[in-house]
Amino acid sequence: MNQARMNQTRLKRSRIRQGLGAIILAAAAAASWPAFAHHSFAVYDRTKTLTLKGTVKTFQWTNPHCVVWVLVQPDGGAEPQEWSFETTSPGVLTRGGWTRNSIKPGDRVSVEFSPLRDGSHGGGLNSVTLIDTGQKLSASFAASEKPS
Amino acid sequence: MKTHFFRAVLLLSMAGSAAFAAADKEPTNPPPTLKDWQAMAKLPDLGGVWTPLISDQVAQERTNPPPWKPEIAKQVEHMYAEEKAGRPFPVIDHCFPTGMPSYMLITHNAFEILLTPGRVTLLGEGDGNRMRRIYTDGRPHPPDPDPSFHGHSIGHWEGQALVVDTIAVLPQSYLAVNEAVGVPNNGDMHIVERFHLLNAHTLADDLEITANKLLAKPWKTTRKYVRQRAQKFDIVEGVCEQGSYNDAVDKDGNAIFAPIKFHNGVPVGSDSK
Repeated sequence: MNQARMNQTRLKRSRIRQGLGAIILAAAAAASWPAFAHHSFAVYDRTKTLTLKGTVKTFQWTNPHCVVWVLVQPDGGAEPQEWSFETTSPGVLTRGGWTRNSIKPGDRVSVEFSPLRDGSHGGGLNSVTLIDTGQKLSASFAASEKPS
Repeated sequence: MKTHFFRAVLLLSMAGSAAFAAADKEPTNPPPTLKDWQAMAKLPDLGGVWTPLISDQVAQERTNPPPWKPEIAKQVEHMYAEEKAGRPFPVIDHCFPTGMPSYMLITHNAFEILLTPGRVTLLGEGDGNRMRRIYTDGRPHPPDPDPSFHGHSIGHWEGQALVVDTIAVLPQSYLAVNEAVGVPNNGDMHIVERFHLLNAHTLADDLEITANKLLAKPWKTTRKYVRQRAQKFDIVEGVCEQGSYNDAVDKDGNAIFAPIKFHNGVPVGSDSK
């Protein structure tokens, strides 16, 4: 799928999601989700890699999974969407060159991720590129596979 | 009267001595001697930080699956289907230690092997800095040990290999082959391991797992770990439950943790309310 068509598809999906978004949020407020913070990444469709650009809202640097929340501005001036991208633990990321200050609120970023299978606003993070500096941070276990 | 009194005193003092003698025979951990420390220097170089070779874990899952009993194989098949559908079974979704044998089989996290007189300790990084204690001071297993996530382990050196025997693992501890496929061992599990270096930077753990409630026969498998001497691999604190909370401030301005909302284990929104 070429980039232009992917963008179009995303926009269409995001318009549908905005309508559903309010309903989902209301349901979330009513339900009490189990507080499981540690889980398999099989919830993400790892056969797909999508890219989104946005502004960092928060970066959580904790075990067992670090999370970047990004505000994505859809075209058409609608409300920004909040996406959450999960990755591995601080210990593993440190070996890949990250620090807890690598990503800050307000940073403009481009995120490569495997999307959530249910289509909600989240994904498993593959890499983050800081748009203003060009620095690319990858989330992988590659460093751990070689001795040091 | 006096005779009774003196007899009572005599009996009491004998009971006291007997009790003291019994206390004398309580097992202790003697302080290591210079000889003990010198003997440590001759041990195989298993100490330091190791990271699991995850690519090999994935290959082993395919080429050497456990010999499940038929009724367990059905559960496993269902779990694989659920994983494929994006609804992974919550093998690691609690914040308990992964436990034995899954700690060695599926961990994605670094651990450090600490060699000290009389014991070998594995200090993990994930899930509350999970710890395995292997006693190498010649003690036997206790007759009725309390079950635990990592079990009771005793070990001895055979040439360049550390041979470990583990029992008393909690029945709830999973025998997992990945983070979405695993079955509780259900008790009466016995694990024998052989830790040895394949080369200067690769450690192998040959496991033989007997779990009669799960496996049709004992399962032999090996997992590999890669040596990490760079300081960036120093083991860091890993508190599993911390990921369920955001940094927040209470009404008095104190720094606290506030729970995050989750959906299917994935955090929803970045507001801590």
